Amino acid sequence: MADNGKQNGDVVKVNFNFRRELARKVEGNLANYCYQCGACVGDCPAAYYSDEFNPREIMLKVLYGLGDELIREDSVLWLCTNCYNCHERCPQDVKPVEVIISMKNMLADAGIYPKGVDRVIATFESTGRTVPYSASIDNRRAKFGLPPLSPVPVDEIKQLLEPADKGDES
Amino acid sequence: MKRFAFFPGCLIPARYPAMEFAIRQVLPRLGIEPVDLPGASCCPDPIYFKSKDKVSWLSVAARNLALAEAQGLDVFTNCSGCTATLSESYHLLKDDKLRARVNERLARIGMEYRGTSRVRHIVTLLRDVAGYDTVAATVTRPLTGLKVAIHYGCHLLKPSKIMQVDDPNNPTVMEELVKAVGAEPVRHGNWYLCCGKACQVEDLPAKMMRDLLATVNEKQADILGLICPTCFSQFDMGQLKVAKQFDEDFHTPAVYYLQLLAFAQGIPYDDLGFGDQRIKPEVLRNFEEVPATTES
Ligand code: SF4
Ligand code: SF4
Repeated sequence: MADNGKQNGDVVKVNFNFRRELARKVEGNLANYCYQCGACVGDCPAAYYSDEFNPREIMLKVLYGLGDELIREDSVLWLCTNCYNCHERCPQDVKPVEVIISMKNMLADAGIYPKGVDRVIATFESTGRTVPYSASIDNRRAKFGLPPLSPVPVDEIKQLLEPADKGDES
Repeated sequence: MKRFAFFPGCLIPARYPAMEFAIRQVLPRLGIEPVDLPGASCCPDPIYFKSKDKVSWLSVAARNLALAEAQGLDVFTNCSGCTATLSESYHLLKDDKLRARVNERLARIGMEYRGTSRVRHIVTLLRDVAGYDTVAATVTRPLTGLKVAIHYGCHLLKPSKIMQVDDPNNPTVMEELVKAVGAEPVRHGNWYLCCGKACQVEDLPAKMMRDLLATVNEKQADILGLICPTCFSQFDMGQLKVAKQFDEDFHTPAVYYLQLLAFAQGIPYDDLGFGDQRIKPEVLRNFEEVPATTES
């Protein structure tokens, strides 16, 4: 897999553009500290249940700058269950799950997103909540003697989502 | 009464009002007053929205925390997803540069994040503010003999450096809370496994859930006790899919711990919304036949 670049004595060409872009995301630079020990793999449910997914290999691809294999449609990154076991186990504080989420931020920048994910984000951005509002929600709340959902000032949320002018936003 | 800002999140108030009802019933009996946070939004969720843009995610989380700061209160969460977002944001925003970037955005709406409100998952309020003995003392209907398999979920415990709730390799908080209602906690073989909600590929979470339910079943647990509405939805809805896909119907009702505690405190089964669940914890009705020792 990720070791292909080394086969036949090829010189590994690291794509530093990809790594630079990833490093601009919050905690996106942490893969730099990965020494490939594999401690993140043992408790990773996505690795256990799928042959395609392995957080150590993903970190190796990052180190090699193999962004094309990760930032693409149907990216393997979506197999991650966000369980944080890798974060717990890594002796180098790489936080593989955070590096993976930072790469998902790059997928968002590229506009390639699974449908279900897109939908939840759209609901949040337009209502400030991830569950779309309907009158039946308040009816069900009333059954328990609860007041209607308290309103979210969506205009405030929208203002927060605007990137800053400076080029350093991610 | 000790006061804490109540951060309900999205799923609990919108989809599972019975959980909110239980929380509001239970806490005052333990000497804890939940204080509402008007204007709070989604935390925002650590699966979907965080995947889009971490800086926006942090900015909205900081706004929610700033609402609690304005009231001078620590904030408590009732969903492991909210806990993950708010605890992690609290931790990340100790970094001056990041905090400045986020505060630049908050300034647009006349707010500032200062980092003065800590984030606590509700189980830590039960453990550290009330105490297990106090919880046990409020129980009027001990659930003696009820076997509760525990699903800790991921973000209550991990990353432990940030969550600071319990030992992720051998946690005890849920076991103790289950004992406090008189029931018997059961640790099943796959207790460490995630509910799989965040995974965006269908067959993987289904396999995980199947394996998890199988070990719960081996232990002959009556219910699966958990403390997160996302895990709850996975197990309540998802179990039907598992039954179809693998032709194995484990039929293990999931129960949100605060509802279980409310029931043990004497609130009737029918008032606690259990009837709305896909898989109903009918087994609890056995305990209703014995009238509660004191009326609630
Ligand atoms: S545990 Fe950390 S250092 Fe080891 S392979 Fe995984 S990411 Fe790299
Ligand atoms: S967070 Fe993702 S990569 Fe890390 S252990 Fe869990 S499933 Fe694996």
